[in-house]
Amino acid sequence: MKNIISIILISTIFSSVSFAGGPWPQPKGKGYFKLSEWWTVFDQHFTDQGLIDPNVTTGIFNTSLYAEFGITNRLTAQFNGALLSRNYMNNLRSNTTKDIIVAGEAINSLGDIDLGLKYGLTKPGARIPISLSVILGLPTGTPVAGELNNLQTGDGEFNQMIQLDAGRGFSIGKTPAYISAYTGFNNRTKDFSEEIRYGAEFGIGLVNQKFWLATKLNVVESLKNGATAESITSTSIFANNSEFSSIGVEANVFVTKKIGVSVGAAGAFRGEIIAAAPSYSVGVFYDMTK
Amino acid sequence: MKNLFTLAFAIIALSFTSCVGDDFLEDFVGQSVSITTSIDTLEINTTFQFEKMYLNDIGQEEIVAATWISSNSDILEIDQNGLATAKQKGTASITVIIDSDGTTLEDSTEVVVGETTVISENRIEGRVETTTFYVLEGDFVYREEGDKILLEFGSDYVASNRLPGLYIYLSNNPNSVSGALEIGKVTTFSGEHTYEIEGINFKDYKHIVYFCKPFNVKVGDGDLNF
Repeated sequence: MKNIISIILISTIFSSVSFAGGPWPQPKGKGYFKLSEWWTVFDQHFTDQGLIDPNVTTGIFNTSLYAEFGITNRLTAQFNGALLSRNYMNNLRSNTTKDIIVAGEAINSLGDIDLGLKYGLTKPGARIPISLSVILGLPTGTPVAGELNNLQTGDGEFNQMIQLDAGRGFSIGKTPAYISAYTGFNNRTKDFSEEIRYGAEFGIGLVNQKFWLATKLNVVESLKNGATAESITSTSIFANNSEFSSIGVEANVFVTKKIGVSVGAAGAFRGEIIAAAPSYSVGVFYDMTK
Repeated sequence: MKNLFTLAFAIIALSFTSCVGDDFLEDFVGQSVSITTSIDTLEINTTFQFEKMYLNDIGQEEIVAATWISSNSDILEIDQNGLATAKQKGTASITVIIDSDGTTLEDSTEVVVGETTVISENRIEGRVETTTFYVLEGDFVYREEGDKILLEFGSDYVASNRLPGLYIYLSNNPNSVSGALEIGKVTTFSGEHTYEIEGINFKDYKHIVYFCKPFNVKVGDGDLNF
């Protein structure tokens, strides 16, 4: 990772409380599309000891498109990309003279893009569906920018992730619900540490399935086998080996039969070298399966 | 439907107009003046140039008028430019006084006038310690050798190698690197190592400061207690 607080990590993971996703491939010719805004503003972070230290106030805003489309009933194409990404840092001023000590900066650019394929290992309609995904993380964002090289909208590395999902739909009384879990391995390039990722999600459909509530746990464990500041001689920013455990909630409301609004929040309750602040998302989705 | 997309685009537009704001650093240290050149013994009938440094409320040097006083001009005479002349054997104190906005600041040093000139050994010891939850600690020796200043860390030095962009500075404000001398990027994270610094006087700075550039925060420090 070539940034201070692993912003790409948090933007792609904290925001991935999924209304779609899970082990369920899209039916052939159907899809799910979501345009959302995700953001976090933080002035503290988890240190390498997992404790919290301050930092200059930093903001990250991503306008993202998430899409799933069924190529066959068992094979789904996935797209998850930050079409517009903004990263800024505040001015650091003297409280005595009010003069600027370190000038704040901001960049706007395309962020990183994930392309993936999800294959249903079980037949559609299986009691416990299981799927396997291969996701490629394209370094389309800007990995280093700003006077101090401390701004980024991408991590600058091409990663490949393989992920196994399983889940089950059920009812609580007459209320539909689902539970799913995943585990994955993220192989990263450019001396970034590999990662093991896992998590679980529980969702429940209310008001005649027009209002869905979901909560999701995401965990990223770094294998810490990549480069550290000690082995990097460049002056670019470096903070490899980030990891975290986060919990998120998301509400999805259908305002028409196929279109709805999504609102979510997530935050890490444990982490290393990562922002210690909640993130939020607001989006609009279109679900062709409804 | 139209309202929905209007809302979506409004949210997106709002996020991209989020402005760079201000964070404030507590950097008040108070004014001070110090004599930055030192000598133990000055040979009779020779001269020595004393220099002073005035630091403002945030530890930045400013050029201000000063008054130089000798406690005994028969032994050691000093003019208002800080040039001292050894007149006869004995001991005298040299004091520099600065009047800044009604506040009187002063610093003194004792000098012996004798047969031969003896320059003080410019060497101090100290310790850097973390001011955050990142590991950083170690003993150091700060000394002058010829035209260079050497900052030597011992075998007990250790610093986290997971903190990005860690830099070391000499500063006159323990909380800020504004106006500080950047020694360089930290590349040694444990054990003995030495920084060679040129172009400064031994007493030009009062603090060693470790600063994380990407986070824009101080990570640790150590005082240079002359």
